[in-house]
Amino acid sequence: MTVTPFPELAPVPAPVFDVETILAGIDTMAAQKPVAAQLVSVANSEDTSAKELSRILASDVALAGRVMKLANSAYFGMRGRVTSLQFAVTVVGFTTVRTMATVALTDLDDESRLPENFWDFTTHLALAASTLAPRFGERPQDALCLGLLAQLGAALLFHNDKEGYGEIAAAEPTFAGRRAAETRRYGINSLRLTAVALEQWGFPAPMVVPLKHVDDYRAPEGALLRSCFEIAARLTTEDYDTVPIVRVSCGQLREDDVVPVLDVVRADADELRRAMLAD
Amino acid sequence: MTAVIASDDHVPPEIVSSVFYSASVSDSLALLVAETAGRTQRIAWANEGAVQLLGYGLADLSTMPVEQLFPTLGGGELKLLLRRERSARRTLQVRTASGALVEAGVITTPSPGGRRWTVMLRATANEQERALRATADAHERRFSALTERSPVPTLLSEQGMRLAHVNDAFCGLVGRGADQMLGTGWIDTIHPDDLDAVIEQVSAALDGGEVEVQARLVRDDGALRTTVIRFAHLFTPGVGAGFVATIEDITDRLAFEAQLAHQANHDPLTGLPNRTLLAEYVAERFRPAAGGLACLFLDLDNFKVVNDSLGHTSGDELLVEVADRLRATVRPGDLVARFGGDEFVVVCERVDEDDAVALAERITAALSRPMRLGGVDVRPHASVGVTVQTAEHVAPEELIRDCDIAMYQAKAGGKGRISVLDQEARAQARDKLRLVTELRDAIDDRAITLLYQPIFGTVSRTPVAVESLARWDHPVRGPISPSVFVPLAEESGLIAGLGLLVLDETCRQLAEWDRLTGAAAPPRANVNVSALQLDGNLPDQVLAALQRHELHPSRISIEITESALMKDPESAQKVLQQLRDLGVELAIDDFGTGYSSLAYLRHLPVQCLKVDRSFVAELGDGHGEIASAVIALARNLNLCTVAEGVETAEQADELGRLGATYLQGFNLAEPMTGGHAAAWFAVHGETTT
Repeated sequence: MTVTPFPELAPVPAPVFDVETILAGIDTMAAQKPVAAQLVSVANSEDTSAKELSRILASDVALAGRVMKLANSAYFGMRGRVTSLQFAVTVVGFTTVRTMATVALTDLDDESRLPENFWDFTTHLALAASTLAPRFGERPQDALCLGLLAQLGAALLFHNDKEGYGEIAAAEPTFAGRRAAETRRYGINSLRLTAVALEQWGFPAPMVVPLKHVDDYRAPEGALLRSCFEIAARLTTEDYDTVPIVRVSCGQLREDDVVPVLDVVRADADELRRAMLAD
Repeated sequence: MTAVIASDDHVPPEIVSSVFYSASVSDSLALLVAETAGRTQRIAWANEGAVQLLGYGLADLSTMPVEQLFPTLGGGELKLLLRRERSARRTLQVRTASGALVEAGVITTPSPGGRRWTVMLRATANEQERALRATADAHERRFSALTERSPVPTLLSEQGMRLAHVNDAFCGLVGRGADQMLGTGWIDTIHPDDLDAVIEQVSAALDGGEVEVQARLVRDDGALRTTVIRFAHLFTPGVGAGFVATIEDITDRLAFEAQLAHQANHDPLTGLPNRTLLAEYVAERFRPAAGGLACLFLDLDNFKVVNDSLGHTSGDELLVEVADRLRATVRPGDLVARFGGDEFVVVCERVDEDDAVALAERITAALSRPMRLGGVDVRPHASVGVTVQTAEHVAPEELIRDCDIAMYQAKAGGKGRISVLDQEARAQARDKLRLVTELRDAIDDRAITLLYQPIFGTVSRTPVAVESLARWDHPVRGPISPSVFVPLAEESGLIAGLGLLVLDETCRQLAEWDRLTGAAAPPRANVNVSALQLDGNLPDQVLAALQRHELHPSRISIEITESALMKDPESAQKVLQQLRDLGVELAIDDFGTGYSSLAYLRHLPVQCLKVDRSFVAELGDGHGEIASAVIALARNLNLCTVAEGVETAEQADELGRLGATYLQGFNLAEPMTGGHAAAWFAVHGETTT
């Protein structure tokens, strides 16, 4: 038997914040929101039906209302034709229902508990991801959901460490810088935290893998999400210092490709935001 | 796992050791146990499966720090994998003994106390999964190649109305790139008026239905294509419902069908609606008792003259010009139709009689402007009949019929006139229609009876023949004159039936007389034949009647008016010759009232001329010139003569003096029924023998 010596591990400074308590906090939230928790757990199974999902969804009036609102939004093009909850579930798709349930479960629908401009950024990110997904060989619906939930980790960090997270956000204008600071403080960056949470709930790989590769500019798996962070930042952040899109997209996009996407995203973002949030 | 832990205390030790044994030797399941040692977590135990998967020796494994195994975990992340209270699930890169990274599903379960974890590894990309994925990818590529290259425009939905895929054929159909149409972009290609219907069908398809809808698509260049979009439901487990849509472009087919429909309903020469469309148009707008609908019936005067003198091409030119002038003269919304030949109909809505007449006047004025045809200036004139809907019109076709009648009135009153069908004329026309129906019934029921008037030899003053005379005794109106019902039968296509009835009844009566009176029976009966009967069928009909009643052909004489012969002399001559060949006699009725060519007369195979009663009547006034000339002419041509309408003994004497062969008239014998004739001949006929 060949014995391979262990490679040397880079010294990692100990985080100052115990991130496990954050995940433990989600379990507490789930207990308080059983309908959302149930939707998160059943929506992914192969034998899920719109009928079953709408039956569960019906017991959470607020969440059901949001699904109806989203189904009738311009994004799905149904122009107010969606009048039953079951049909709304059909129109938006199971993953989206699950995504919305996750939003409710983790209190992402309460803007008072979120970093500044959270939903403004998130809706732009999600719509950009959905619009560009086909160019990257991804399903637009998975990309939309990934965009909606990508910042879940950041929200969780903010929930639990409002002050500390606020300082990071203020001090680090770039995504890479901010994520490095997150790793220093929490032992994990916000996108990886999102990945951990989504993996824990059994979300499909196309929604998890990109989160792990965002910071590796050579990794095509992270190219779509990285590009969409760039586009969302351009649309929502004042005086944003742009990064060339060809670089973040692993050469998949040129600046010309971005222009039409900006229009589409701008047009639908407000409505998507209204559908995602509590009235 | 949870169940085992919960009931741990109650599981007998031998079962625990049995499970442990199977776990430790299993090579399909990679199990590790990690435990906290000081500030770090190390592997404490590994089963056979883990050794095989990772390639490390058992001894190496059992002291390895956990983060060594999962190098992609950042400093803080190990805590999220080895949680004290809950199991965790991740997909992580695992470092094997060769240094390679293998992706594996990792499930950790803490033991009570939170210092030890069972770690289960499952390589995500085993051979079987790779094969399955390859098959799925191949399916995907095949489907994509199929739709991509398919000439059928195809859409594949993502969610709701959102598209995930459009093929080249669809891009070509609407003239846009795929990028513009993915998501909800394709909605812009649907005509706004059809969008609701499309969304409705998409809803039905998402709900599980297979549906289709006709919708117009707007091309990038603004052109419209009419299509049928067929939607089929698609369900992806774990994802939800979608649809596949195929699009059939039916623009050209519809255009062709429209062209066919137009051709079926329009006159190819003038492009005007034809009679069929006119009938539909009036029927659609006709509301009984509502009023307000008017029809103008136009017939060009002397169109035949143009056709005959300038040729059919000029005639067609004239019709096209008239159509153009009509279209230009009527109000917007009025219908101009070509009824047939040189007849046109204009239909107007919401007008009274004055409006309709004013329009008719405008039309006649517009038509009468000169136009040049074949080098000649022609002023088209039309007779126009006008009808405005009244409470009496109960069916749409009555409107057209009435304006047709009005046009005939206009024509009868002199050409180039406008005539409005008044109450009286409408009543007359209806009465005539009723009478036609009753005449048809009378012929079918043999209610038309025959009277027989004897014809005498001028010298002997004995009866030699009878003339059959049709009589109609109407049950309500009383006797109706042949001068009324014979023209009516000719106009309404009943003359053939009437003629056959007279011929057959005459033959039957002759046979009966033979049976009843033997030698005293009338030797011959004269039967009148209308101009319209004078065709190739007549000889056969005569022969059939004779044979049916077993009569010799010489017992019948066919009387044909001079004017009937002159309508188509050549054909008439042929028919007469055939009749003559049968052996029947032939006489020309009302001779002298037409304009016979005397030269032509010489070649007709007739035996007898009947001198018209008007010339006989003149004898009394001392004007016997014509009667005398006719009789002399006949004699010179070797023809015999019958003088009709002999009413006085003086006339009979004078005719005898002039040389007339036979006499017929009230003075000599009135028409009588078949029964009376039998008795009459029994008395008077004896003298002939």
